[in-house]
Amino acid sequence: MNFKLKALVAGVAVGLSMSAMAADPIKIGVSGPFTGGSAPMGVSMRDGVRLAVAEINAKGGVMGRQLQMVERDDEAKPERGVQIAQELINKEHVVATVGYINTGVALASQRFYQQAKIPVMNNVATGSIVTKQFASQPENYVFRNSASDTIQSTMIAEEAIRRGFKKPAILADSTNYGQLGREDLEKVLATKNVKPVSVEKYNIGDVDMTAQLLRAKQAGADVVLTYGIGPELAQIANGMQKLGWKVPIVGSWTLAMANFIDNAGANGNGTRMPQTFIQNPDTPKRKAFIDAYVKAYNPPNGRMPSAVSAAQGYDSIYLLAAAIQQANSTEGPKIAAALEDLKTPIEGVVTTYNKPYSKTDHEAINFENTKFGEVQNGRVVNVK
Amino acid sequence: MEILLQLVVSGIALGMIYAVIAFGYQLTFATSGTLNFGQGEALMLGALVGLSLVGTIHGGPYISYWLMVPLVMIFGAIQGMFVERIGVRPAIRIKSEFGWIMSTIALAIIFKNVAENIWGKDVLPFPSPISSEPFTVAGANIQPMQVAVIIGAVAIMLAVEIFNRKSIYGKAVVATSNDRDAAGLMGINTGMVITFSYALSSATAAFAGALIAPLTLTSATMGASLGLKAFAVAIIGGLTSGVGAIVGGIILGIAETATGFYLSTGYKEVPGLVLLLLVLAVKPSGLFGKAAIKKV
Repeated sequence: MNFKLKALVAGVAVGLSMSAMAADPIKIGVSGPFTGGSAPMGVSMRDGVRLAVAEINAKGGVMGRQLQMVERDDEAKPERGVQIAQELINKEHVVATVGYINTGVALASQRFYQQAKIPVMNNVATGSIVTKQFASQPENYVFRNSASDTIQSTMIAEEAIRRGFKKPAILADSTNYGQLGREDLEKVLATKNVKPVSVEKYNIGDVDMTAQLLRAKQAGADVVLTYGIGPELAQIANGMQKLGWKVPIVGSWTLAMANFIDNAGANGNGTRMPQTFIQNPDTPKRKAFIDAYVKAYNPPNGRMPSAVSAAQGYDSIYLLAAAIQQANSTEGPKIAAALEDLKTPIEGVVTTYNKPYSKTDHEAINFENTKFGEVQNGRVVNVK
Repeated sequence: MEILLQLVVSGIALGMIYAVIAFGYQLTFATSGTLNFGQGEALMLGALVGLSLVGTIHGGPYISYWLMVPLVMIFGAIQGMFVERIGVRPAIRIKSEFGWIMSTIALAIIFKNVAENIWGKDVLPFPSPISSEPFTVAGANIQPMQVAVIIGAVAIMLAVEIFNRKSIYGKAVVATSNDRDAAGLMGINTGMVITFSYALSSATAAFAGALIAPLTLTSATMGASLGLKAFAVAIIGGLTSGVGAIVGGIILGIAETATGFYLSTGYKEVPGLVLLLLVLAVKPSGLFGKAAIKKV
C-alpha cells in the first residue's frame, strides 16, 4: 500500500471521528423483555420509547444532539439483566437507562447504575422496593414512572371494600411479582380490618385452577383479588366459568394485558384494575400518541397490546430528556439532580408531570394519576 | 360430597389428557424400546395446526372443528414419521442405547422454536366447538368439552387397541413388540412397523392437542409440562399397559386437584411425584407393567 492511500485512509478516519465528536449522539439504554411471557409489556414499552425518541430527534434532539437508543432484550431474567447493565455502562457508555418490566430484573441490575452514578428510569416494574433499594445512600439514582404495588394494592383493596365486598379471596402466582403483591394486599386489607377468607397460589403455566377456585368458593368469597400475569389470569376467569361460579375480579394492572383479555373472552368482562393510561383519546396529546402508535406498529384490531407500558415508556423518555436539557450535561449526577428538581412541567400522555420527583421521592406516579380501568368486550375502558 | 365429586370430575378430565399422551409413549416403547420425548411437542403442534385451520390467526376459519380433527391426525402421523426417520432410526441401526434420548429431545426443542416463529410466543385462545356453559350433575359442574375430552381419549385408545388386536397390520405391531428379531425372521418389516408406531403415537398426541386446546389455551410452550407429567403417568401405570396409562392418568389428575384443595395449592404437584417415586421404589415396572427381563 502506498503512502498516499495510507494518508487518505488516516485522513478519512480522523475526519470521521472529529465529526462524530461534534454531533455525538446521546446514548440511552433500553432494557426489557422482548421475548417470552412478559414480551407484550416489554415490546410495547420499547415501542413507546421509540416513538418519543423519534419525536424528540425530529425536533432537533436534546442540547442539539440526537438521542440514540441502545436496546437489549433481558428476557425477564435477572442474570441477563445484570450482563446487559454492565455492557450498557462499560461498553456502550450510556447516559441513562430506561426500562425494566420485571421487578426481579430491576433489583438485580440497577446496583451497577447506582455504583456508576448513572440514572435508571423504571418505566414498568411495579415492586414497592424498586426505588427504595438505595434510598439510604446519599444519592439515589433509581427513578420510576409506573404505579408501584403500594399504590396498586391500596387501590385494589379500597375498590373491593367500596363496592361492599367483605370476604375477598386472593389468588397470586408463585413469582416474586405475585407474592410481593400478595403481601402488599394482605397488609392493606389488615389496616382496613378485612381478612381474606382464602389466599391461594398457582404456578406460571398452570392450566387448571379448579382447586384454587373451589377453595375460594368454599370459603364463601364474594370477590377475587389477583396478582399475576395475563395467561394464568385468563385461566382463573375461564376456570370460574367451568365451575359455574361468578364473582367479580379486581386485580393488579396486568389484567389489562391483551393476553388476558383475548384468552378470557366474555369471562373477562367487568374485571377491574388500576391503570395509569387507557387507550382512550380524551386529550389531544393522548390522541396524537395513540394515532402515532397505531400507525407505526399497526397492532391487531388497532388495540395496543399493553397501552400502559407504551405510555409509560413514552413518558420516561420525555422526563429524561427534560432533565438532560435542564442539567445541560450528560453527567449522571447532574441529570439525577435535575430530575429531582424539574423546573418546568412536562406534558406526558399519562399526566402532566409537575415536579414529579424530589430528593426523597423518586415516584412520579401517585394516587391522583392512577385510575380504574374495566374490561368491556375485548377492550379496557374508563370506569365511570 | 359435592366438592369431592367436583374434584374427582376435574381430576378425571385432567387425568385423561395425561393418559392419552402417556399412551403415545407406550406405543413406540412397545415396538422399538424407544420413547419420543417430544410427545408433548407433538401435542402442541397438533393444537396449533388445528388452531390455524379453525381459528382466525392465519386468515381462517377454513373448516369446521370436526373436519379439522382427522387432518390434524394426518399431520401428526407425518410429524411422527419424521421424528422416527431423523432421530430414532439412526440410533436403532447402530444399536445405540441412548442416542435416541438426545435426538428426540433435540427435535422437541427444534419443534418448539419453529412453532414460536410461526405462531408467536403468546398464548392463544382456541374457539370451542360446543357450548362452554357448564351443566350440573349431582352438584358438580361439568363442561361439555370436558366430557368430550374424556370420551375422545377413551375412544382413540380403544381404536388403537382394537386395530392392534384384530387387523393383520396390528398383529405385525404386536409381533414386533413381542420379539423384534423373531418378527423380522417371519418376514415382518420391523423397520416399517417402528415407523408406523411413531406415526400412530404422534397422531394420538396431535389428536389430544386438538381435543384439549379449547379447555386449556394454546401456545408453543404448552407441551413441555404436559409431556413431562404424562411421562410420570406412563411410569406409574407401566410402560407396557394401556390400562395402566388410564389408571395412572386418573390417579395423577385426582391427586393434583385433591391435594390442591385439601392440602394447599402450593403443593399441588407434589403427591403425584411422590407417587412416582414410590412406584419406582416398590414396583419399578409400574402398577400394571410386566417386568422386563433384559437378556444380555
